[in-house]
Amino acid sequence: MKHGSIFFLYVSQYMKTRLTYRVDMLMEIMSDLLFQAVNLIFILVVFGHTNMLSGWSKDEIIFIYGFFLVPFAIFGAFFNIWDFNERYIVKGEMDRILTRPVHSLFQIILERMELESLFGVLTGIAVMIYAGSHLDLSLSWYDPIVFLFMVLGGAFVYAGIFILLASISFWSDSRTSIMPMMYNIGNYGRYPVDIYNKVIRFVLTWILPFAFVGVYPSAYFLGREEWYGYAFLTPVMGAVFFGFAIFMWNIGVTKYRGAGN
Amino acid sequence: MEKVIDVQSLRKDFKSHSSRSGLKGAFRDLFTRNYKVISAVKDISFTVNEGEMVGYIGENGAGKSTSIKMLTGILTPTSGIVRVNGMDPHKEREKFVRSIGVVFGQRSQLWWDIAVQESFRLLKKVYNVPDDVYNEHMNHVIESLDIGPLLDKPVRKLSLGQRMRCELAAALLHNPKLLFLDEPTIGLDVLVKLKIRNFLKEINEKYKTTILLTTHDLTDIEALCDRVVMLDEGQIIYDGELAKLRSNWGEGKQIEFQFGEQVSGEQLQPLLKELEAEWTKGDRENVWIANVVNEEHVISEVIGRVVAANRITDIKIHEISTEEIIRNIYEEGMRNG
Repeated sequence: MKHGSIFFLYVSQYMKTRLTYRVDMLMEIMSDLLFQAVNLIFILVVFGHTNMLSGWSKDEIIFIYGFFLVPFAIFGAFFNIWDFNERYIVKGEMDRILTRPVHSLFQIILERMELESLFGVLTGIAVMIYAGSHLDLSLSWYDPIVFLFMVLGGAFVYAGIFILLASISFWSDSRTSIMPMMYNIGNYGRYPVDIYNKVIRFVLTWILPFAFVGVYPSAYFLGREEWYGYAFLTPVMGAVFFGFAIFMWNIGVTKYRGAGN
Repeated sequence: MEKVIDVQSLRKDFKSHSSRSGLKGAFRDLFTRNYKVISAVKDISFTVNEGEMVGYIGENGAGKSTSIKMLTGILTPTSGIVRVNGMDPHKEREKFVRSIGVVFGQRSQLWWDIAVQESFRLLKKVYNVPDDVYNEHMNHVIESLDIGPLLDKPVRKLSLGQRMRCELAAALLHNPKLLFLDEPTIGLDVLVKLKIRNFLKEINEKYKTTILLTTHDLTDIEALCDRVVMLDEGQIIYDGELAKLRSNWGEGKQIEFQFGEQVSGEQLQPLLKELEAEWTKGDRENVWIANVVNEEHVISEVIGRVVAANRITDIKIHEISTEEIIRNIYEEGMRNG
């Protein structure tokens, strides 16, 4: 397992440098927490005016939000390559990556990882436990395994979309504001898709399938049987999107034009 | 001898769109674009044998970087054949890059925030170098480059010269057969340059490492390379021995006279009558340079006439430097091939 050992060496190196800047790390975790708290408050404010949202209760929506935080944390830790264009294409750092004998995307993931984001997994699980305790949910012995698959599926959907967007830079290195927009669209996946109109629902399911990061897999744990079909598609969508993204990335690398000196 | 680099009519075209002017033009650009194809490298061919040190020179934009990037597998060629170390650099990239070392003077291979030896450790893992091979080889490299005391410092705290030596060590960590050096001595002081040159000679002798060197500093090339490949506008305009380049183009010497009094060009002109020589004005006051052919009787005749006619405070005789030769070649174009 060569990739595995490279990965752990990078992780240990990352920890070493991060621990020398303890204040930075603490600030980052704090700002993540604050951001998550604001989102929670938003949900509470909305439910201050209504009890149900298209048949979903407040606790269910909080549960979905909690679930969403887990794959999002994994995405944020490893696949958050929003500055790929700027850093690797415009500045030409891709040259360096391409002179090393490891897959280029894997190297970039190692260089850009932000393990602090993984803290979000804990927050997410805490939020789910809080919401779940109000909801009278039953857990089976295999649910943790299903949870793992759902989380990985969701994280890979997210990762796939962002890798696809990053790959565009190989063809055109002009700056776009597509990345920040994507973060906003990504947030739509945190709410039940049946509150949106049909077009948006279709987009969130099949084009930019952010619904597979939040609402669909959560529906399984909430026992909403009408959504089970979508819920079990989560790992499949993750694999398909991620695979397609890698495929496009590999084509993109052959189109890389390099930066002038 | 084994061919390390074999390039056959290699070409790289870049397609770029040229934008129209004005707001109206910008709107039209949205719908139809004007594409312009620029050929950065135009069908070049050359081979490099094992153990050679080749200077790869050319002005900015001559196609040096682009061709090196194709040789190292970074860019995909538009057409042509590249075989380096018996592999196709772009198609078998991950396997191929194990057999080469790359130093880009302008770009660091090392991690900015961590100690040099930690960077080496990561690279050792990335290249999968076994411990015993690493220890034996790297101890030698570290000693020759004299970087032992720097190993526990983070890269950002190193001076440029220190960093460059570490970069070189990092590029040689997996003991590659072929080394690409792009401006390795840019901005370095003379002592560091000498150290790097000696080191390169040493590894070339010890491991028969083939070296392809790009630089604007021609003294590097004079010190290291027997052969130069010169590019201009994407084509090879000279490929051969450096010594030959000098003898073909640099036939001639410059005699620099420092006159004791004010002199003018008209005054001096008659002195060179019937001789293969001409005057140019020096960059200091009362300094004139006679450019003469490299023949003993002409040189002594010029000196004799000038000294007889004027008061001279200083005389220097220069050989024309490689830099001037190359400047001349670019200015005049390659007339005789």
